[in-house]
Amino acid sequence: MEHLLAAIEGSAFAESLRWSRWTYPFVNALHVVGLAALFGSILPLDLRMLGLFRSVPLAGLTQTLRPVAASGLALAVASGLALFSVRATEYAAMPLFRAKLALVAFGAANALLLTGPRIHAVRPGLLRLAGAASLLTWLAVIVAGRWLGYLD
Amino acid sequence: MRRRSFVAALVASAAAPRIARAHHGWRWTEGAEFTLEGVIREVRLGNPHGILTVEAADKAMWVVELGQPWRHAEAGLPEAELMPGVAITLEGHRSADPDELRMKAERVILAGVTYDLYPDRS
Repeated sequence: MEHLLAAIEGSAFAESLRWSRWTYPFVNALHVVGLAALFGSILPLDLRMLGLFRSVPLAGLTQTLRPVAASGLALAVASGLALFSVRATEYAAMPLFRAKLALVAFGAANALLLTGPRIHAVRPGLLRLAGAASLLTWLAVIVAGRWLGYLD
Repeated sequence: MRRRSFVAALVASAAAPRIARAHHGWRWTEGAEFTLEGVIREVRLGNPHGILTVEAADKAMWVVELGQPWRHAEAGLPEAELMPGVAITLEGHRSADPDELRMKAERVILAGVTYDLYPDRS
């Protein structure tokens, strides 16, 4: 694991990002765009699952918002990996960073379990629970991520 | 509703000092100028910004926040000379928390030469 982290940190990619003037802030901006797309699209889904906007069919919402959320997550993960590479060893050792990864994994798994047609078979109580879990998880991910920038 | 937004504002303001202690900008620092003289013990340069560990004369270990590579380049600061064992003087602002041995450097003095990281800030 240490070798892997050191290899990531020492890669030409990490090295160029570490010393770049424009690329690093640009990748940082991509990370924000990714999580904005993810959270912005998953929030109405979660609220619908929690019982708001009942007149809107869930099928239509999921059809449009799911791919946007998934793309946002993909962008956030890709840009996040790039930012991580610059100080991989340091981040990997931070409990808050590990907690954030665990939260992302939980949030993604929660969303995957509700994929496609299965969502209609889920009991309303369980749907509400999943919606609340999703909302809280992604909020916690954002808070943890923002906080990381303020720790040494 | 009004009551709720009042409570929200209260919670936000209670949380603010903790957030402000963060290292972006100067809000977490004390207003007065601060000078640290010591010897570099650890060096981490590059994005998001450089960090030095500096041992002061009283053996206290300070964390010094420097700038990004481009800022050092513009100030003419020779990053290669920032190495463990090198004597250094740093001017800037220390953390407003007296227990936190952390400062944000505005000027770096190496071998008698002053490098101004923030020439636009007096």
